Amino acid sequence: MEDDNEILQDFLIEAGEILDTLGEQLVELEARPADTDLLNAVFRGFHTVKGGAGFLNITPLVEVCHRAEDVFNVLRQGARKVDAELMDVVLRVLDVVKVMMDAVRAGRDPEHADTALLTQLEGLSKPDAPPAPPACASHADRQRGGQAALEQGAVNDAVYQQLLDALAPAGNAADKPKDAAPPEADEITDAEFEALLDQLQTSPKAAQPPDKPRPVKSDEISEAEFETLLDQLHGAACPPRCGAGTAGGKAPPAPAAAQAQSKTAAPASARAEAQEHAAAETSVRVDTKRLDDIMNMVGELVLSRNRLVRLQSGLNNEQVAQAVATLDLVTSDLQTAVMKTRMQPIKKVFGRFPRVVRDIARSLKKEVTLELQGEDTGLDKNLVEALADPLVHLVRNAVDHGVEAPEARLAAGKARAGTVMLAAEQEGDHILLTIADDGAGMDAEVLRRKAVEKGLMDAEAAARLSQRDCYNLIFLPGFSTRSEITDISGRGVGMDVVKTRIAQLNGTVEIESQKGKGTRFMIKVPLTLAIIPTLMVVVGARIFALPLMNVHEIFDLDLSRTNTIDGQLAIMVRDHALPLYYLNHWLLRDAPLSRTGGCRHVVVVNYGIQRVGFVVDQLLGQEEVVIKPLGAALHGTPGLAGATITGDGRIALILDVPGLMKAYARKAA
Amino acid sequence: MTVRVLVVDDSAFFRRRVTEMLESDSRLKVIGAAANGVEGVERTLALKPDVVTMDIEMPLLDGISAVRRIMTARPTPVLMFSSLTTEGAQATLNALEAGALDFLPKRFEDIARDRDTAKRLLCERVHALGVRGLRPAGSATASSGAPAASAVKCNGHARYKLVAIGTSTGGPVALQKILTALPADFPLPLLLVQHMPANFTAAFAGRLDQLCAITVKEAEDGDALMPGTALLAPGGCQMMIEARNGAPAVRISGGRGNEIYKPCVDVTFTSLAQAGVAPVLALILTGMGADGREGARRLKQNGASIWAQDEASCVVYGMPLAVVEAGLADQVLPLAQIGACLAEAV
Repeated sequence: MEDDNEILQDFLIEAGEILDTLGEQLVELEARPADTDLLNAVFRGFHTVKGGAGFLNITPLVEVCHRAEDVFNVLRQGARKVDAELMDVVLRVLDVVKVMMDAVRAGRDPEHADTALLTQLEGLSKPDAPPAPPACASHADRQRGGQAALEQGAVNDAVYQQLLDALAPAGNAADKPKDAAPPEADEITDAEFEALLDQLQTSPKAAQPPDKPRPVKSDEISEAEFETLLDQLHGAACPPRCGAGTAGGKAPPAPAAAQAQSKTAAPASARAEAQEHAAAETSVRVDTKRLDDIMNMVGELVLSRNRLVRLQSGLNNEQVAQAVATLDLVTSDLQTAVMKTRMQPIKKVFGRFPRVVRDIARSLKKEVTLELQGEDTGLDKNLVEALADPLVHLVRNAVDHGVEAPEARLAAGKARAGTVMLAAEQEGDHILLTIADDGAGMDAEVLRRKAVEKGLMDAEAAARLSQRDCYNLIFLPGFSTRSEITDISGRGVGMDVVKTRIAQLNGTVEIESQKGKGTRFMIKVPLTLAIIPTLMVVVGARIFALPLMNVHEIFDLDLSRTNTIDGQLAIMVRDHALPLYYLNHWLLRDAPLSRTGGCRHVVVVNYGIQRVGFVVDQLLGQEEVVIKPLGAALHGTPGLAGATITGDGRIALILDVPGLMKAYARKAA
Repeated sequence: MTVRVLVVDDSAFFRRRVTEMLESDSRLKVIGAAANGVEGVERTLALKPDVVTMDIEMPLLDGISAVRRIMTARPTPVLMFSSLTTEGAQATLNALEAGALDFLPKRFEDIARDRDTAKRLLCERVHALGVRGLRPAGSATASSGAPAASAVKCNGHARYKLVAIGTSTGGPVALQKILTALPADFPLPLLLVQHMPANFTAAFAGRLDQLCAITVKEAEDGDALMPGTALLAPGGCQMMIEARNGAPAVRISGGRGNEIYKPCVDVTFTSLAQAGVAPVLALILTGMGADGREGARRLKQNGASIWAQDEASCVVYGMPLAVVEAGLADQVLPLAQIGACLAEAV
């Protein structure tokens, strides 16, 4: 069972990769429909998936892949041309196959593909459709799951039985050789026949030794004997082709000798072969769970390191300091190394975009070229998965709202086909993802008006928004610049969800846009989710960690210079009103409500499209922390992302700025 | 001697499965793997394996071209993995022509009831090829044996009514060799039983028909026996001869589904004896196992002559050996001479 599961996983991984590649290749194919190498590659892709599925007996998968393979076989032979309709069908096949794979992955039996789709495929592979041979189970029958073959087999069974009966009219059972004689030769039931076969096949030795031919009265062989013979022929007399050695025939001495020899030669050859193996296998596959565990332990190590660093600073012992410095270094290296093992190229996500863009462009009758850059940029596996949805949404958006229709583009003096660029690059400890289009760009005025129309803000507030703030309006819940919701972008997930998702990854999104030139979304995410840089602050007597990603700036504030606007405490920073919140009001019990007195620190954080200031008592500094989930009792507490252990051994809660604002800002205001 | 195997397949999944299966047999050792034809050729030269298992569809260089290159650079026994489609059949036959010795369907379920049986089957076939080494079937050296002189003797028999040939591993090449040597006016009907999966036989018959002066077709139910026409038993079925309205005719049956061989030489031979077609000239050619022995025994009782292919020219000397050891063979002939002998004997 364990073994089977491993084989299945093996298949799922390989087939998954092939399907991803197929997705890209198929889109490429549309651009280069006559590329034989590409056609061959696609053919092989389906062929290999079919092969694996066949090995595992996943009939529905074999069925559909087989037909797709047939289609591409015809294509690669030049007997048919790739057209858009064919591509639609084949891409649908890819989707169906993916659904099947998901089913298999979930441990379910995949459902058979839609008959209509199979028929379509069959039509597309027309030039070569082989006629089924009439009398016996044809290849096509087999491919169809054997149902037809079974029925046909039943018919043939009867015919065959008739023949046997005809050949053996009431034979004399006593004449029969002992080794395989069933009790009633002329009335063997199928069950008996089966049992006999099984018996004979599982022990090939039961087959008659060939060097002692069965004594036969050569001139008088009875019909009954013939039937027995026939029965034997199916079971015993023909040894299984796979029988040990040549069990049925006289075994040539070679195999036995070979075996004996192999034992003596083993030690010498084993070493050589071990080397050959070592050369062949340079990679191992590791369960991601195991990597997570390692990451976790490295996290613990980072925490102890932090603690040691803190402790030794008070010791003033050079030797200890040196040892700690080394430990510090090694720990950092280890942390990087472990992070690297979890890295996956962003290609994994990017790979699906050619298809996404192609489909949307086709349904909107737009022409779009997708450019991918930095596909090999690596980032944490979890991030790769978490980024997939937001990216898909942004790319859909770029094609749907960004790129104009061909006519409009021509009218604007642009090339007919628009370009969407998707790029990834590493910037220090961050990954920068860019989604850019050369479309119409965003109109700040339109956005402003829309926001007012939707009642998201009053006209006065809207007028005060900077151009950039206007762009950020699209991240507000309930904001959509299109009056009609297309099924492409309007899939329930709005830009607000994109923003939230990225914020959950401790990331940020920025928009740049130029009317008539295009729009550029820039997403910044940390390389990993497990360890984040934070700003440690003290509120009351407690330490809190603010993800550095959210922190915009820090300044000292004379508390007497605050204003209250609309009942909301605020302060003017470089001519902008900044809402101000006292964190102790939210995070501490019995906090003094006084808003007066001396100088305090303000941490300006990004929250959605806006910035707010948090008043804190003390700033401790920057520290890398390992996020530990909160225990069951505290899990889900709004405003808290988790906890961590600080360098001095205390526990600090990690703040979740969006959560915090959502939970408390209204109340406080 | 451990048979050292090189596994060539573009699917890592399949490479691992094949390797696992082969390594379950202590007589076999997988010494390397290659992910395309080019690598396959390179590794064959570098690692000098005893046997190569080869996929057909691969990037850079397909399996058939790879076999061709291996056969020129360093002849090595090759077992092809093919798919059971019409396309697969053509490709497999091409590979055999290029010099591959044997083939197995990639989908083991098509030929074996369970994984273990498939595993044994694969190991047995690979081992047989490895032990045999590479003596190209029908090559000049193989035919330089002594029995040449005895070939003249073939004539001494009664007028045969029919020629029946049974074969397995190595059979496609052997049959091609023999049948292409026959003249268009060959006076007897022929029955061919080649162990082969369904769908392969139609392609194989078509190919033989193109290459041979005689007519070759896949047998269909009701076919009559005609001089100069060879009927090839369809794969996945059993071909039997029965008397219909007084004349012998072909009956194709799906069989009971339990037979190990479909088609089975014994079934066809036995039905021949049963239908009273006699005397028959029966040939047992290269192949693993002992299919054909019991059928030959039965035919012999009806006055048939039995010829067996000799060891040197066989890809696998199993089926011919079985008839020789049972004392049934009248002649043991090298492949290169069988065709000429046949043309002469009838």
